[in-house]
Amino acid sequence: MIAQAIGKNLDYVVMLGYFVVVLGFGLYFGRYTRSTKDFFFGGQRFSWWLIAFSCVATVVGSYSFIKYSAAGFRYGISSTQSYLNDWFWMPILVLVWIPIIYYRKIQSVPEYLEIRFDKKTRVAATIIILFYIVGYIGINLITLGKTLNTLLGWEIMTGAIITAVAVALYVYIGGQTAVIMTDLVQGIILLIAGLGLFAGAIYHFGGFGNFWALLPTEHKYAFSDFNAPPKFSFIGIYVQDGLANTGALMLMHQGFIMRFLSLKSVKDSRRMVVCWILVLAPLAAVATSCGGWIAKALVNNGELVTEPGDSFVKAAHFLCAPGVFGFVLAALTAALMSTADSLINAVSAIFVNDIWRPYIKPGSSDKHYLRVARISSLVAAGAGLALVPVFMKDTIYGAHSMFTAAVTPPVLTAIFLGITWKRYTPTAAFVTIAGGAVLIGLSFVSKGPVNWPDVLVGPFDFGMGPESYKFMRALFGLLAAGTLGVLVTFFTKPRPEAELKGLVAGTQTDAMRSFKGGEPNRRKGSKVRLQAKLDAGLAGENMVIISPSALEKMAAEPGDLLYASHIRWWYGGLRSVHVKAGPAADSKDAGLMRISPEDAATAHFADGQEVVVEKIM
Amino acid sequence: MNMLRVWPIFCQFGVGALLCAVGIWCGLRGGYLNLKVAEDRRLLAILIAGFMVMLAIVCVFTFLAPGWASGESS
Repeated sequence: MIAQAIGKNLDYVVMLGYFVVVLGFGLYFGRYTRSTKDFFFGGQRFSWWLIAFSCVATVVGSYSFIKYSAAGFRYGISSTQSYLNDWFWMPILVLVWIPIIYYRKIQSVPEYLEIRFDKKTRVAATIIILFYIVGYIGINLITLGKTLNTLLGWEIMTGAIITAVAVALYVYIGGQTAVIMTDLVQGIILLIAGLGLFAGAIYHFGGFGNFWALLPTEHKYAFSDFNAPPKFSFIGIYVQDGLANTGALMLMHQGFIMRFLSLKSVKDSRRMVVCWILVLAPLAAVATSCGGWIAKALVNNGELVTEPGDSFVKAAHFLCAPGVFGFVLAALTAALMSTADSLINAVSAIFVNDIWRPYIKPGSSDKHYLRVARISSLVAAGAGLALVPVFMKDTIYGAHSMFTAAVTPPVLTAIFLGITWKRYTPTAAFVTIAGGAVLIGLSFVSKGPVNWPDVLVGPFDFGMGPESYKFMRALFGLLAAGTLGVLVTFFTKPRPEAELKGLVAGTQTDAMRSFKGGEPNRRKGSKVRLQAKLDAGLAGENMVIISPSALEKMAAEPGDLLYASHIRWWYGGLRSVHVKAGPAADSKDAGLMRISPEDAATAHFADGQEVVVEKIM
Repeated sequence: MNMLRVWPIFCQFGVGALLCAVGIWCGLRGGYLNLKVAEDRRLLAILIAGFMVMLAIVCVFTFLAPGWASGESS
């Protein structure tokens, strides 16, 4: 064992210190936020590795440690099965969805749905997505409230309010840049804490073999049984988490869409997704679940008594030295903050881009929309807090599963069909969303002459009965919404193909052309190092002048889109700018990059500074 | 062989293969995923390799790992 004594005060000092540091870190990045583009998309300039860490920090919510450790305690390593589904969505994500939203400069899912279909589909989706994201904020806040209740004896609402205020404050000031930068730190911390706890446990048991031997045999399978038990069957978890929830995270979650749009290029999205899904997500799966496995081994070894829901905190408390336990608690806080900040920023983006700008106050200045975005961040945190009492009635796992299974299928189905099927019609998309939502809503109504849950979800329960409905409702929702969409499509008129360029599969290259304003240049080139030289003559051009030799090395031509960044890679694109290549410079300027003062200011470049330049397309 | 343990693998990787196929087909249509470009070929190879790695891990923790040491039942 590492240590038995728990220095409570030291733990809370460490946790509080972490809280203050992250808050300060987030507030610091407020200086990079000058427009709504900065506030929502961080200026579209970040490197793949930064966004990969940020995505994993967003996926891992505070509920993840509690939820997956409880499942790990009850069912063993099959608690990680939720994290093993993401890879299958990767081709649709990187080959279809990201190119469409990035190159068509789409800022939200509702906006895509209006351009692809019509206004009423946008309105229906806006309502559902806002409900989905605000509900997610509520689930995160209640988890930390419950944890702080266990540890400090605070009322659940008190803990939830304190964390909501802290997160809302740094999102209010720093926007997406603050979210990404704090998520980088928080992603690293939660992985270190979770994996460190696992390593500490292996050391405590005297090796992996001893630890493994302490687990019951049925806890050593990657998947639970196909249709048992009803609350943790493979098929239930798969349809709720693998299909509905993962699909929604990839295609419908505004927080992730904003993250994808923060990347410096679509090419970087490929690296980001591979790093996130194939490397970081499996590590996160172990980090969040291992508390339950360790607790089970400790119980079987006669060293601990715990309930599943407390397994993470109790295992960490048992194994960690004073101060280290505080660090683990800080990771729990990190998981909450890194998820809630993305969600708050996402609500703000949808409110401004899909409600305020088009319907309430169109045509105002960017400064006005930035102010509205900041205020709506605070309102989003308040709305999440208002939902905390609603989720108190169920377990964390139950509340999260029920919520995602019920809310996500209609919009997810509409997006999926919308991006993959040209024939899919606007009327069908609206019926998919509205009709799907009505049918799912009906599947909750059990009072009255007809027991709708049995009638609608019962046929899809694989013999598991009503206890499985909160999971299997996802399958019913996907099939119901999909069937409505396909049937209505065959009886209604699709939009002409010419109007769908860059909006559906098969037209991604059209989207690339419209993004660049010309034919994309995909020739392979290298990065070049140049010296920035401010040139007031280029003001308003968003263009740089560089030498023919530098252009040749990058395999670039005048008119191509370039990306200039600080020479220190670890800035991750924080100091960078997208510009177009202008006409080739004179040979005497071989080592220079002439840039306008406003582009240099955007990138935080000083006159004479060395920069790295690469061709985007 | 306990088919209750095998069906999940069939289901997850069967539906998963279908989703991957839809994504790749959507990429190939219109030439966005261009197999004449080395970068795109590499992406396809990584995609398939990732699929196989996941399948291998799941198979190890279904057919081999449970037998590595006999644990106590709770």
